[in-house]
Amino acid sequence: MIEDLKSDYESLLQFMYMAPVGLVQMQADGHIVMINPYSANLLLPIAPSGDLSNLFTTLEDIAPELQNLCTNFTKKRGQICDSLRVQLTAGIPGKKDAKFLAFTLLKLDMDRIMAVITDITLLVKRERQLQHSEAWFNAIFTDVSEYAIASLDSEGIIERWNVSMQRLTKFEELDVEGQSYGLFFPEDATNQERLKDRLMEADQNGWDLLESWCLRKDGSRFWGSSIISPLVDAYREPLDPARYSLIIRDIDEKRTSTEDIIKASFNDHLTGISNRRAFFEVAGVEFERWKKRPRPLSLLAIDADYFKKINDTYGHATGDEVLKHLSQILQDSVRTMDIVARLGGEEFGALLPSTDLEGAVKIAERIRTSIAEAEFKVDGHIIRYTVSIGVSAVDEHVTGVDMLLKLADDALYVSKHQGRNRVTTAAKSVS
Amino acid sequence: MNQINFDTQNLGQALNLLSNELLNALEFGVIGFDDEGIVKVYNAYESKMTGLSLESVIDADLFSTVAPCMNNFLVAQKFEDAVDEKVELDEIMDFVLTLKMKPTRVKLRLISAPTLPYNYVIILRSN
Repeated sequence: MIEDLKSDYESLLQFMYMAPVGLVQMQADGHIVMINPYSANLLLPIAPSGDLSNLFTTLEDIAPELQNLCTNFTKKRGQICDSLRVQLTAGIPGKKDAKFLAFTLLKLDMDRIMAVITDITLLVKRERQLQHSEAWFNAIFTDVSEYAIASLDSEGIIERWNVSMQRLTKFEELDVEGQSYGLFFPEDATNQERLKDRLMEADQNGWDLLESWCLRKDGSRFWGSSIISPLVDAYREPLDPARYSLIIRDIDEKRTSTEDIIKASFNDHLTGISNRRAFFEVAGVEFERWKKRPRPLSLLAIDADYFKKINDTYGHATGDEVLKHLSQILQDSVRTMDIVARLGGEEFGALLPSTDLEGAVKIAERIRTSIAEAEFKVDGHIIRYTVSIGVSAVDEHVTGVDMLLKLADDALYVSKHQGRNRVTTAAKSVS
Repeated sequence: MNQINFDTQNLGQALNLLSNELLNALEFGVIGFDDEGIVKVYNAYESKMTGLSLESVIDADLFSTVAPCMNNFLVAQKFEDAVDEKVELDEIMDFVLTLKMKPTRVKLRLISAPTLPYNYVIILRSN
């Protein structure tokens, strides 16, 4: 009997050791009670100093929302989240895939939570390819009256006007003659380089798709999806010189209905600005553009000084207000085409396309001063705080977004070290 | 006979010469495996820590079925590289193992040498 039990126990252990999926049982505060080897393999690369005693601590820098979800889950038991995606690395397009994990959390009772962790890196990659095809089909099959269609020459100059364009954008034939297709986009949402990029990307991929603000003749904006594809001859070869078709679709309505979903996966739950995942996604695209056509690309790593002290002195609610305030200042200090994001904890990032190191330092200084000069009230306390910033820019030694961020982080560390409330430029990167 | 410890010099040679009985008396885990990753040595201490019997482990694949948590660039990769390049490996590192599903801090010592019949992972509990 005992022998049977022993061998059953051993088989169960072996079953758990070998299970190719991550299983973790933890307490309500994230303290890990049981964890199988597969989980350890997935989590160790991101665990600060290899500590796997608390899941929330392990993930606090890259997925602070997990702890939040658990704390806010008031029911006695039930599913807290289903396959919540967490991005670990930006990856190097074409070489190394961006790494993603999915977390499913199940509350068993007041002090027991089960976590199922899976590596969805490949799934995400495939899904993205599918999304692109789907975008194409959407563009082709939905009612044509919602679209503006134009043809562009090799330089992106609008060649042919048609009535669909007038219907959607109100531009008339004379308005568009000899104009660049940039006419359809607000100035702060695009620039000459970006317009050219889109044509090049259409050449390389067969299409280029973008959701962005678009412009009507009267200056009013609408949220639109625009797709550019190279025109081909009867043998499906691109024309020489190249010509393109441009289709713009008004998706204001679609946007409202899907806004919440997009917000949930791409926006930080607290501050409402982009999250780490959205940041890596955009940064990845920008870096690829840089590789094809080098031009300035800079990154700021911004961190609130003495944030833990603010939290300890005034409470977490005040800390949250500081993060919101900081997000607002960041958003107000950059252009629409730049992206600012909360990368985790009190660290923020800003990606500045077509901005060189010098320009980025100016923006960083502006942010630093705005914050140092600001004060605001929470619960009757006047709060003042400062930020430290590290600035990096892409050069030929930078291999990817991860490295660009690392350089900015190192510079940020120097800012902290030299007394905070300052901006430091990354040392020249050497490969 | 000299006392054999986790940090004894030339530990690989010493283990290679040790009788099964003495191997099983050691106060740290010893796993010996061939260049294909097949487990050939598994001492009593290690068996006690993992809950796996000697019979179920011997001749099993170390990194896929016995200790999948070491199947990464920190451990498995280093052995692979050492074997491929026919160089010596002797490295001590901090690691977390999931012994009986409990996260456990350990020190690992990775030993491989062209002159040794087996590669060794030595496991010492840190706490």
